[in-house]
Amino acid sequence: MNSKHPLWQNLFRPKDDRISEVTEMWMSTPLFEKIPTKECRELVKTMHPRQYKKGEKIFSSGEIGASVVLIRSGGVEIKAADKLLAELNPADFFGEVALILDEPRTADAIATDESELIFFLRSDLEEWVKRSPRSGAQFMLNIAIVLAARLRHTNILLSLQNS
Amino acid sequence: MIQLFFNHPLGRTIAIFSLICTSILLLAILLSPILVPIILSFALYALLEPLSEVLERQGLSRSASSLSVLLVLVSAAAIVFSVLLPHLAKQLSTLQSQLPSVWQSLMDMGNEVSQHLINSLGIDITTSSITQHFFTQANDWGSSALIQGSNILISLTIFLILVPIITFFLVRDYRSFRNYMLDKLPNSNFEMGWLIYHRVAHQLQEYIRGILTQSGIMCVMTSIGFYIIGLDSPILLGATAGVLNLIPYVGPLLATVLPILLAVSEVPIELWLIGAAISVILIAQIIDSMIVIPSVVANAVNLHPLIVIMGIIVFGNLFGFVGMVIATPTLSTANIIYRGLYQGIKTRCDLKIENATEN
Repeated sequence: MNSKHPLWQNLFRPKDDRISEVTEMWMSTPLFEKIPTKECRELVKTMHPRQYKKGEKIFSSGEIGASVVLIRSGGVEIKAADKLLAELNPADFFGEVALILDEPRTADAIATDESELIFFLRSDLEEWVKRSPRSGAQFMLNIAIVLAARLRHTNILLSLQNS
Repeated sequence: MIQLFFNHPLGRTIAIFSLICTSILLLAILLSPILVPIILSFALYALLEPLSEVLERQGLSRSASSLSVLLVLVSAAAIVFSVLLPHLAKQLSTLQSQLPSVWQSLMDMGNEVSQHLINSLGIDITTSSITQHFFTQANDWGSSALIQGSNILISLTIFLILVPIITFFLVRDYRSFRNYMLDKLPNSNFEMGWLIYHRVAHQLQEYIRGILTQSGIMCVMTSIGFYIIGLDSPILLGATAGVLNLIPYVGPLLATVLPILLAVSEVPIELWLIGAAISVILIAQIIDSMIVIPSVVANAVNLHPLIVIMGIIVFGNLFGFVGMVIATPTLSTANIIYRGLYQGIKTRCDLKIENATEN
């Protein structure tokens, strides 16, 4: 008998398919590398899922940002001065600079489809770092690696443009 | 004209800010019978939240850690009530027995001053009528205090039951409730709402933890000081100084009244004791301003002293002692909300204008 059949499921266990799926998505990103899955799962419970319509602005350049965003479903495009910078798909993330800097966003983010986005706020990160300093330090190192990689990529692009 | 007002960032900010303030005020009026226990519970929550976090870090569930925090709170209250309260009650009765001599000393001093004025300047101030009026007033206060005594006892019992219960639920469920409420914000204001909330919560927590620690230190310092100079009821006087220290700027001034009155009651009047009592408060205030405030309360409130003093006077006039205590954090919260709203609304308006000129 299939244990996934409703008759054989534990009725008292809360359905957490969404949490498992989002945890898996975050764990596949470089931000959560070397962080225990259990910790990531606990963190996902504090994150904020939000629904966006096609063409709806997620944030605009110049607005103060407070979170990194993971795409659970749908798609997002990142634009700066009406120039398309990136097209993002499920399991991609964006806006990670806002986790570190209390500064305005430097690009626009627009939903290209009906999308579900998971917001991980700076305030939640700060609470988590206080609760789990070791994992928090690892997370910060991961962010530094991601930002350094993006900086390196931009430098290469600029040098190619100049040459 | 109205549209122009709402299209301007300042006008829109003022409108939204007024709406938020009115909602909070209405909620406060609705909850007025239990507002003080709620405020006290929030203060305890801010103080005990780190303990709950430590317990959670050790692997305890949210409910278990909240329950442990509640046990700590009840045990601490039980210890305070069983150990400190009888001692305080004893000191209070000593103080009560000293009151007639305090009045007598004050009357003698008044008579001496009056006699001196008659002899040197020829001015006759009949102190008896002043003291008579003072005694009548004191009698009125005394009888009304006796009538209100039973009500205070009932309120205290409700406080003792309500505060631990509210604190327990705040420690356990506040985060979920907060997430539920803030997730109701529309997509366009979601991040801004969280940002403002986080700034307010951070500043309030810092302020509450800081001011309670500062009051505790003040209480210990002045108690030791009053004990050393040999003033009666040092713990009671220290506790009063600590509680009054919750009111910025005005509190320290009020804290000097009771020790001076007690020093004056000594027969014969010992001037050095009055000076020593004032010195204890002054030294404690200097240590407080130079060491405690910079390391504990620093930057918790970014408000101009004049605004704080005016706020204390207005809030004190409206809501009494509780109003004086909550004036500073309330003004500070209002300041952050207003600034956050203005910043967000102005950015949006600037972006709109930018887009319009580009098109």
